[in-house]
Amino acid sequence: MASEFELSRNITIGQYVPTDSFIHRLDPRIKLLIFTVLVLAIALNTSYVGNALGLLLSIYLFWASKIPVSYGLSGIKPAIPFIIILAVLQLIFQGNVFSGGTVYFEYGFILITSESIRLVIVSAVRFVEIILLSSVLTLSTSTTELTHAIQSLLSPLKKIKVPVHELSLIITIAIRFVPTFAIEMEKMMKAQASRGADFGSGEWWRIIQRTKDMLPIIIPLFNIALSRAEDLILAMESRCYTPGNDRSTYSVYKALGRDYLVLFIGLLFSLLLLFYPFPY
Amino acid sequence: MKGTLTVRNIVIAGVLGAVAILLGVTRLGYIPVPTAAGNATIMHIPAIIGGIMQGPIVGAIVGIIFGVSSFLNATVPLFKDPLVAILPRLFIGVVAWLVYVGIRRKSEYFAIGTAAFLGTLTNTVLVLTMAVVRGYMGAEVAWTVALTSGIPEAVVGTIVTLAVVLAWKQIGKGKKSRISEDL
Repeated sequence: MASEFELSRNITIGQYVPTDSFIHRLDPRIKLLIFTVLVLAIALNTSYVGNALGLLLSIYLFWASKIPVSYGLSGIKPAIPFIIILAVLQLIFQGNVFSGGTVYFEYGFILITSESIRLVIVSAVRFVEIILLSSVLTLSTSTTELTHAIQSLLSPLKKIKVPVHELSLIITIAIRFVPTFAIEMEKMMKAQASRGADFGSGEWWRIIQRTKDMLPIIIPLFNIALSRAEDLILAMESRCYTPGNDRSTYSVYKALGRDYLVLFIGLLFSLLLLFYPFPY
Repeated sequence: MKGTLTVRNIVIAGVLGAVAILLGVTRLGYIPVPTAAGNATIMHIPAIIGGIMQGPIVGAIVGIIFGVSSFLNATVPLFKDPLVAILPRLFIGVVAWLVYVGIRRKSEYFAIGTAAFLGTLTNTVLVLTMAVVRGYMGAEVAWTVALTSGIPEAVVGTIVTLAVVLAWKQIGKGKKSRISEDL
């Protein structure tokens, strides 16, 4: 029962494990860039060997960043039933779509071929790889570093009058407030439940009634959000924050030799995954 | 300075974006009413409210944040396609703003309600159109989904938006900063 109210447990945004490893000290811009390229390369690779290499790389990155792999695996655990169901469905129904290769089993509309088995295994492994890679990125980079990185990678867009700094400020505010609101929501749901509030156990066809049941949580959520926004606006305006001005940053990133080395190795690995004709 | 990003626009967009993300990662974003999907989503409501309160730019930005968060959280291939998950969400807040500004003079309440209704329909229609265009489902399936889940969702969206906006307006806190409009 109590677990019904634990919202903040589901929220992994902004989790950061400070182990001060080699990966942590890399330039966040390089990390973000390499992450994007690697995910693209993994998403396009369909061979067993290529994906095994990708899996090895993502586990190696966990080891190199001194973060226990269990942190990454905890992101996979809730997805396991979904992966299995998807795999079974693909195995049963996709055989006719990917009908190349050897036929292993055929009964009615069920057709299992070597190609459909490849599709199932590769897409499951790929899912795990992408979750592991994105966990390494977010666990070893603070949200501040990430938004700085996004801002500096997008800064060429300033030339065409895109307000890059303002947009990255919006993203920072959004990410910053998610855990705060989650905690507020927990309090609110417990408070309403202790007063005997009933969250939607009315008859299923009474759409309006069921919506009204949710209002005691939804309205305070928006009200808290908006009144916090008013506080923040007041605070920022009284400190003379002016959007659109040129401003310097507190932390200036300077890519070092090792950053370029990592960039080079990462690009090489991605090119390998993309273009090398793996035998299996 | 109308139309540009003021402090007020930046903060409201960020905070409503946070609400959109929160509704997406918890089960609060789903109201259990009978639709094809089993529940109606209210995750797009922050985009509508952003559009009504602060204009089309804030509406579009909150829409993008909602789109990206639904793209990252997606467990079905349909929403792992950025063209389906992100692009249609841009227009929710913009449509809501256009409708609201168009009717506001006649009746404030009616304008908010209609904006929410049409904003929600924009979400349903554009997502389904992109799903058909990208070949995830046939046109007949899309029509069925639009009727069975779009209409209840629009009703739910209208109620929630009206309740939230009216509660906020009547709660009387309003704008704290007195200089927002001058900056």
